[in-house]
Amino acid sequence: MPTQPDTDEQPGMEPAIRTEHLTKIYGQRLIAVNDMNLQVPQGSVFGLLGPNGAGKTTTLRLLLGLQRPTAGRAEVFGKSCGPNAVAVRSQIGYLPTNPKLPGNLRPIEYLDLLGKLSRLPRQVRKPRISALLRAVGLLTATEQRIQTFSTGMCTRLGLAASLVGDPPLLLWDEPTAGLDPTARRFTLDLIRELGKTKTVVVATHILSDIDQICDHLGVMHEGRMIFTGSMQDMKKRLRRDGFSLELEGETDNIRLLAQEVDNLEGIEAHLGAGQTLLVRIANDRGRSRALAEVFKLVDASKLSLQAVHSAQNATENAYLQLLQEEEAHGFHR
Amino acid sequence: MDSTDKTSRLSTRMMPYLAILQHDLRALRASRLVRLWLAATAVLTLMLALANWSNFQNAPLIASLLFPYLVFPWFFVVVVLGVSPVSGSRAEALADGILSRPVGRCEYLLATWSARVVLVWGVYLLVLVPVIALVTLAKRPVPEDTVTIYGVATALFVVGLVLTFLVSLGFLMGTLLRKPLLAVVVLIFVWYPISLILSVFSLEEFSPISLNQALCTQLRQPWRQVEGDSKVNINKGDKDAVPSQFSQILSVLSGAKPKPKAAKPEFFEAEKFDDFSLLRVTLGYGLPTLMAVVLATLSFYWRDL
Repeated sequence: MPTQPDTDEQPGMEPAIRTEHLTKIYGQRLIAVNDMNLQVPQGSVFGLLGPNGAGKTTTLRLLLGLQRPTAGRAEVFGKSCGPNAVAVRSQIGYLPTNPKLPGNLRPIEYLDLLGKLSRLPRQVRKPRISALLRAVGLLTATEQRIQTFSTGMCTRLGLAASLVGDPPLLLWDEPTAGLDPTARRFTLDLIRELGKTKTVVVATHILSDIDQICDHLGVMHEGRMIFTGSMQDMKKRLRRDGFSLELEGETDNIRLLAQEVDNLEGIEAHLGAGQTLLVRIANDRGRSRALAEVFKLVDASKLSLQAVHSAQNATENAYLQLLQEEEAHGFHR
Repeated sequence: MDSTDKTSRLSTRMMPYLAILQHDLRALRASRLVRLWLAATAVLTLMLALANWSNFQNAPLIASLLFPYLVFPWFFVVVVLGVSPVSGSRAEALADGILSRPVGRCEYLLATWSARVVLVWGVYLLVLVPVIALVTLAKRPVPEDTVTIYGVATALFVVGLVLTFLVSLGFLMGTLLRKPLLAVVVLIFVWYPISLILSVFSLEEFSPISLNQALCTQLRQPWRQVEGDSKVNINKGDKDAVPSQFSQILSVLSGAKPKPKAAKPEFFEAEKFDDFSLLRVTLGYGLPTLMAVVLATLSFYWRDL
């Protein structure tokens, strides 16, 4: 059974998001969200991970009341979600994927409009807009119309827009999509910073983003939530782990070392590309002890150790493993 | 203190509605369609006024200026303006940009509807009021007419009401059909034969063409015609009846055939459209307008974005 129990709820604290048997079926044909039970703890940075078409965006839109569930219910801070749930939306800051912004407006005008939609009085709105524009680095672009903005600038303005009402919950859909490395770094840092005071849900299919910023995770596949839990829980799911050792020395010596390591119990070793040795440790062996034995052999050889890497991204491995398991279960079902 | 508090609470409550209204008006004003319409309607109105300057009296001239709004071609522009806000690709953008914020769907819909109504009335009055003023105040080489301020105001109101109805109809169709082009095509097919449809239900007086014909009479209506005028009419009727009865008696005595008695003309046949009722027209267009807005709101409320 791949589905884990709901995310650990802190006693006495209401979850930021709770869904019960949440289901969305489009036109009696496509099941976008399938019987989803989810709890997102307050104050967490929750990664909603899944391949394209897994139902991440639909889930966010159901929470916002932009779509109606076919069955089940969703709550945000204990309040029911729906088309007229204004009180729920006042608690949420939403950033859609590649936000479509009114090109004829300037950033200040746009944020001012959103501030008014959040019913913020002028004396609160104006300083906040200025602070947000400074925070997202758009202070120098206030004279430009939005239609002249690059993708990165639009995303940054979208980020500011989601923060205008100072909501306690942020739902960001693919916040790093189409961003250059600098903008991506900026966004991830911002999420990390905001995660200290707010609950942040980041829907993405980019594993490295999740790895860097999230403390809790939900994995979706074909509308089903196939895993929810902490990042540690996710990584523990790996059956085996691998490392690559970057070495300096003669190739013959590396080959010799590979044979010696391979002779150790519960450890496999292969030569990798360049001067690397790939080491895989079996599940039943303690990783630290196994690694200590490998390092001893390296030390005894005529080689010098340059670096040690985790052979593959742990989250990526766990994620792919989950998807494979889910597909196998689906086949059996 | 209490009233200030209430006012500030009301203004806070109304803030999203007013913000959307203002934003939409601004976007509409900047749109090419509205700018072209404003220019075209100004040119057409001036052309009509100049062409009939020395031919028509005030009332028929003003009625001819109102014809493009009531019948053709401006209904098309008004319908297109009504269709656009919640249909097509705009729906997704507004869901992401506005409806994901703390705004009710009803609030959004009413604000965008109001923006369109305000814009249509704005363009229509901006062009017509100065031209009507010019027509009525200028000395033209035509016989004097008895157009009243009340008559002009009510005629403008009636045409504005029809335009509001058209915006609302476009709004409803745009919400129901979702595809703007389809909605416009459906509306054209509904609106063109409207006179025929209305005549089937004996509601000819609400058809745009009949309304336009009735405007001449309405333009000449005084503010307080009810008592004074009805008295005058009765006396006039009585006065007319005396010679008529006298001639009838004479013809009976002389053995000649009496003249056939004129039947009360049907609404369309009558030149003066005495049967035109402002109240009936207001209700006839006002209630369907309200119904269209309510139906559009309900349809929009139940729909996924």
